[in-house]
Amino acid sequence: MDVTFIILSLITVVGAIWAVTLRNLIHGVLSLVLFFFGVAGFFFYLNADFVGWVQILVYVGAVAILAIFAIMLTHNLTAKDEPGFFSLRWLTGMAIAAAVGAVLWFAIKNNAAMLQTAPAGVTSSVADIGRKMMTDWVVPFEVVSLLLTAAMIGAIVIAMEQISHRK
Amino acid sequence: MNPATHIPWIASYLWLIPLLPFAAAGVSALLPQRCRKTSAGLAIGVIVVSTLLSFCALAESILHGLEPHAGRTWSAMQTHEVWHSLIEFTWFNYGTTSLKLGFVLDPLTAAMATMVSLVSALIFIYSLGYMSRDKNFTRFFTFLSLFAGAMLGLVVTNNLLLFFICWELVGLASYLLIGFWYHRPSAAAAAKKAFIVTKIGDTGFFAGLLWLYHATGTLQFYTPDHTGALEQVTALAGLPGIMGLSLAGTIALLIFCGAVGKSGQWPLHVWLPDAMEGPTPVSALIHAATMVAAGVFLVARTYPLFQASPQVLTLVAWIGAFTAIMAATIAVAQNDIKRILAYSTVSQLGYMVMGLGVGGMAAAMFHLLMHGFFKALLFLGAGSVIHGCHNEQDIFKMGGVKKHMPITFWTYFVGTLALAGIFPLAGFWSKDEVLTAAFRWGGGLHKGPFVLGCLGVFLTAFYMWRQVCLVFLGEYRGGKARAGHKHVGQEEAETHHETAPGVPHESPAVMTVPLIILAVFSAFMGFSGLPEHANFIHHFLNPEHAPHVVNWFVIGTASALAFAGLGAGHLLYGVKPLAPDEPDPLKAKLGKLRDFLRDKWYCDELYEATVVRFVRIAAVVVDLGDRLLDGVTVGLGLLARGVSFFNFKFDEQAINCGFDGGCGSVRVIGRCFAALQDGRVQSYLRLVAVTAAILAFWFFLK
Amino acid sequence: MTTLAHFQLLASMLFAVGLFGAVTRRNAIVVLLSIEIMFNAANLSLVAFWRYGPHPEQLSGVVFAIFGITIAAAEAAVGLALVIVIYRYYKSIEVDKMRSLKG
Repeated sequence: MDVTFIILSLITVVGAIWAVTLRNLIHGVLSLVLFFFGVAGFFFYLNADFVGWVQILVYVGAVAILAIFAIMLTHNLTAKDEPGFFSLRWLTGMAIAAAVGAVLWFAIKNNAAMLQTAPAGVTSSVADIGRKMMTDWVVPFEVVSLLLTAAMIGAIVIAMEQISHRK
Repeated sequence: MNPATHIPWIASYLWLIPLLPFAAAGVSALLPQRCRKTSAGLAIGVIVVSTLLSFCALAESILHGLEPHAGRTWSAMQTHEVWHSLIEFTWFNYGTTSLKLGFVLDPLTAAMATMVSLVSALIFIYSLGYMSRDKNFTRFFTFLSLFAGAMLGLVVTNNLLLFFICWELVGLASYLLIGFWYHRPSAAAAAKKAFIVTKIGDTGFFAGLLWLYHATGTLQFYTPDHTGALEQVTALAGLPGIMGLSLAGTIALLIFCGAVGKSGQWPLHVWLPDAMEGPTPVSALIHAATMVAAGVFLVARTYPLFQASPQVLTLVAWIGAFTAIMAATIAVAQNDIKRILAYSTVSQLGYMVMGLGVGGMAAAMFHLLMHGFFKALLFLGAGSVIHGCHNEQDIFKMGGVKKHMPITFWTYFVGTLALAGIFPLAGFWSKDEVLTAAFRWGGGLHKGPFVLGCLGVFLTAFYMWRQVCLVFLGEYRGGKARAGHKHVGQEEAETHHETAPGVPHESPAVMTVPLIILAVFSAFMGFSGLPEHANFIHHFLNPEHAPHVVNWFVIGTASALAFAGLGAGHLLYGVKPLAPDEPDPLKAKLGKLRDFLRDKWYCDELYEATVVRFVRIAAVVVDLGDRLLDGVTVGLGLLARGVSFFNFKFDEQAINCGFDGGCGSVRVIGRCFAALQDGRVQSYLRLVAVTAAILAFWFFLK
Repeated sequence: MTTLAHFQLLASMLFAVGLFGAVTRRNAIVVLLSIEIMFNAANLSLVAFWRYGPHPEQLSGVVFAIFGITIAAAEAAVGLALVIVIYRYYKSIEVDKMRSLKG
């Protein structure tokens, strides 16, 4: 375990925990941005540079901004009457998350293949990814692009319904 | 003859038959509403191509049957080996195994695909006229194409999983089509009912599918190296299943659950008559040619499994016989023209299932094919009558339609006689096959299905002739009483041109031509199944079993009963035409029994009183449990506040222990239901997470 | 030395945090963002498997992660649009208020 890993882990874990617990939604989204940057850092650390850039572009550039807009459009800057830390609701949530986490932990711990170290010389150049996308993965690629178009149109249609009613 | 050595060209293109309608559905789903002609033309053009391909497949499989023989007669087809031509492909790999899908060309596929695509094509053309004024015309043809594609996919597939996928797609398409006029509450309810009731059966089917996969490691019906699921039946028959059945029997029973749901067999028949809420072409498509046939086809396809278990076959025979007679009696007392036909369909499906149960697979399939033609004819005829009588569906408000709609009358007449089983129309031959098979099933109690079937023949002829008399003969009784019954076909009234109320009118040629074609088929197709040596269908579908000889006793009994039924119907309804407000003469003859029949043996009421009430009680319990849960939450908060309060609570609980103990189990059940059904998304998410965790732990520890 | 297990443990921990948010928070926006955290955890796991796996030249993990990001973006767009519509309808974005699934 090296220093980079520890720092990045701290950033992501703290960012994630803040994002799901903070009452102020804007602060929550800002910690989420921190988390996204942390994950992007992990992608760079794992030699997946392209995924890291995509992560920053899509999540920090689009999803976080979208979330901030949604918060502002719904006049919901702080989450009112959110129950306290020791409420039944939070304890249940923690128990469930802990159970699922324990399952995953159990699965990882019982797998000897998990103990290997990183092989050297593993890279992912954009050209290679592009070639893969256009050969082996061309059908999923096209399907995903269709899905993205449909989602974009769908989001617009859903959100502008009121305007069409007003006309 | 090794099937692997020679694959006919049509087998390699068999996948086109279902794929073309699917593609048409996909394209017309994207078309805007106003592209009516494009969408309809696409749907019809594509189904016609599918029909032609099916005919090629049929011709290929017939020729194949002839090839090894010099004689080139039908009887020479007795090869003692069922012939399959297989196309396999891999869907995906996981680990070291792969999931293979495939198509099969064999006589069963070819015959069924031809019937389905031909009848579908005619119904599509008919819909052009029937739905011409509907504003959702494009959507209608999209759904029709989806339906036809799913059904044809189910026919040509060589894989139970693909079969199941198509099966569910058929269910989805029928849901969409029954609820096509979704703004009518009864249509929406009928669509939901059809979907839910058939799902009950599908659960069994899916369990059977999984079990079969577990037991054989494949879901292919046949494979080139003879390791397909249906080719391992001998091994399965030796393994123990549940309830004293062999494993093959258990799986067959589970699969039969699916067939019961889809083919409207008792006790899951209740959805089929309600499905009449859909537009009439849909009723014809679903209740005649395709969807209900899927269940029978499923049993025929997996017949080796059934053959391995005599107990299951016995059950199948009795369920079929009971359904046949029950639905026939209900049909006698109905007034809605489409409902009569719907119960008639249930009854005829009962015959098919009975035929399967008594070992006459070819007979049942023959009846299925013939029934596809004449029931489509009858439904389309009924649609034409409804269309012509300004959306009136009550046969007591019709009458004398014959002189206004001659083409409809004559085609309907042919269909009626075919359904009643009058020589020499299609129904005569096929019903005779089924009854002969039932007759030869065994002695003593095993004659039961045969007796019930014969009674059913009488009733079928009776209710069909009653309908013909009331609808076509006598004087027109509609017109005046129309205002009060507008709700019956209000939606259709909106969608069709509103001519002046009064006399019925003949439907346009686009609707009558399919009727005529279907009438021709209903009249002459029966000759493909002549008994004795010329029994082409029998050799074709089931060459392993020798065709049976003519049984004059069965033919005589069935014909006599059919004529008796027609005569009885004529005596009651034909001799003296009914006046406009005259009650059903049957009421006087049968009294209370008629009410019992009219109310469908109170099946819906029975389910209302049992199943639905149980669900209601469960809902009340859930509600109580919900409140209890809130109570528990409050209680926990109070507990945390102070030990004294805790003690007080504890005392109370200790004192009321007996009472609480009694309530405990109720509370637990209530809490379970409450957790399952409180409508909060997050509760469902919690449940999913906990279940996943528990399952994963269980797998680790195992 | 950092092993594959470290990454997987971290990813499962992030997944658990996201799950906690998704089942606990009442605000629909936070629920959606928690789901994004779970997506990210899965992507991190995939990329780590690719990095440590026997066939890195296949790039499966990377391509999968890119697809995952795409789908997550689509999901976020539609989800947040739905939140806005729900806000208009219920005048609230509390997940508990949406109970029409209850029979």
